[in-house]
Amino acid sequence: MELFLESFPKIFISGIVMTLPLAIISFVLAMVLAIFCALIQYAKVPVMKYVVQFYIWIFRGTPMLVQLFIMYFGMQSIGVRISAITAAIIVFSLNTGAYCAETIRGSIESVPQGQMEAGLCVGMSYMQIMTHIILPQAFRSAFPSLFNNLISLVKDTSLAANITVTEMFMQTERIAGRTYQFMQLYIEVALVYLIFCTVLTWLQAWGEKKLNYYQAGR
Amino acid sequence: MALLEIKDIHKSFGNLNVLNGMDLTVNKGDVIAILGPSGSGKTTLLRCINYLETADAGTMIFNGKSYDLSNTSKKDVAHLRKHTGVVFQNYNLFANKTALQNVTLGLTVARNISKEEANVIGMQMLEKVGMKDRASHYPSQLSGGQQQRVAIARALATNPDIIYFDEPTSALDPELIQEVLSVMKTLANEGMTMVVVTHEMAFAKNVSSHVILMEKGKIVEEGSSKNFFENPKQERTKDFLRKEEM
Repeated sequence: MELFLESFPKIFISGIVMTLPLAIISFVLAMVLAIFCALIQYAKVPVMKYVVQFYIWIFRGTPMLVQLFIMYFGMQSIGVRISAITAAIIVFSLNTGAYCAETIRGSIESVPQGQMEAGLCVGMSYMQIMTHIILPQAFRSAFPSLFNNLISLVKDTSLAANITVTEMFMQTERIAGRTYQFMQLYIEVALVYLIFCTVLTWLQAWGEKKLNYYQAGR
Repeated sequence: MALLEIKDIHKSFGNLNVLNGMDLTVNKGDVIAILGPSGSGKTTLLRCINYLETADAGTMIFNGKSYDLSNTSKKDVAHLRKHTGVVFQNYNLFANKTALQNVTLGLTVARNISKEEANVIGMQMLEKVGMKDRASHYPSQLSGGQQQRVAIARALATNPDIIYFDEPTSALDPELIQEVLSVMKTLANEGMTMVVVTHEMAFAKNVSSHVILMEKGKIVEEGSSKNFFENPKQERTKDFLRKEEM
């Protein structure tokens, strides 16, 4: 119990100051990248669409842990020095961005073609229709999947421990190494991840409710 | 001078020739009903005129200016669309916008009109179609007939020279058709130029000024609606009218 009172706050605070910011910053960057890539694919921009497809292929087709090692240790070995935290943010953004890009592209494509046609017929431009009509509707249908990606990302930030980022799991390992109470500490850190993800699940439910404003009977 | 002239329009999808060199002339104030069996190319005609499809060949003269239907610059298309309104079979109201926003978006976003001014116009248009009290409802909260009336208000709001109606009542329950037709009748009486692809014989007969019967991408017969219904010249027209009466 004494150990719990000492270790749990430490783990929890490390989660607040490292894990969550790491996840949120990476996710915001991932979203920007994902919307950009989804629009390129949806609009079938020549050349660029192949670049996007290649990027998604690479980042969905290789393990995140390997990507982290390449970005940090691999780069270091060829003389490119990136700080561990930067390497982690780059890999998390690129990896999550690849998944979200596909989610968003699918959602854009699921908005009925008539919405675009009606927009064109009242004189709006392609980009105006995208920002006012299509993307808001696509965002609504993509929202649960995107939240899934965010929740995954929060847990996957623990992988950054492998490239020396002192995030929540690394912090836990250190305490465990000092006290030899592995079982208890791993359960404690698992509990903190669970708390974070539970809060995110609540946020998701609240967000979905908010976004349902235009759907009757929901 | 005619407001709109279409000359020799061709369009095929793969091996299927949908439009086979049709002509169409619309004068200001005309209400033209286009009839014809399914697959006769009626909807494709409207879609090509509005560049939702690109025709394979054909010329359009609109307001005295000539356009190539198979090859028109984006700028010209944008210009043309700002002077025309379209009402779709499936309404196509913007799902994430209220009835009023649906009507005003073409003004505020596409034409840079202030929100206040657009809202005044929007409410006038909604009042005209009897939907003023539903201004803040979303499309999902409206019946099909109500949605289609909002769609008509949206087409009217931008003060177009002509409105194209693509089977505006085909997706509606029978009891909702009348509320849409009566709005269209009011517009016709006010002198709005309209081209209406429809299956509503009563509308073609009583409201439209001209009727065109299309089949296989061509005009079978056209004339004033009085002549068309009382004195059809072509056997095909007589046959079509007999079947519709049954």
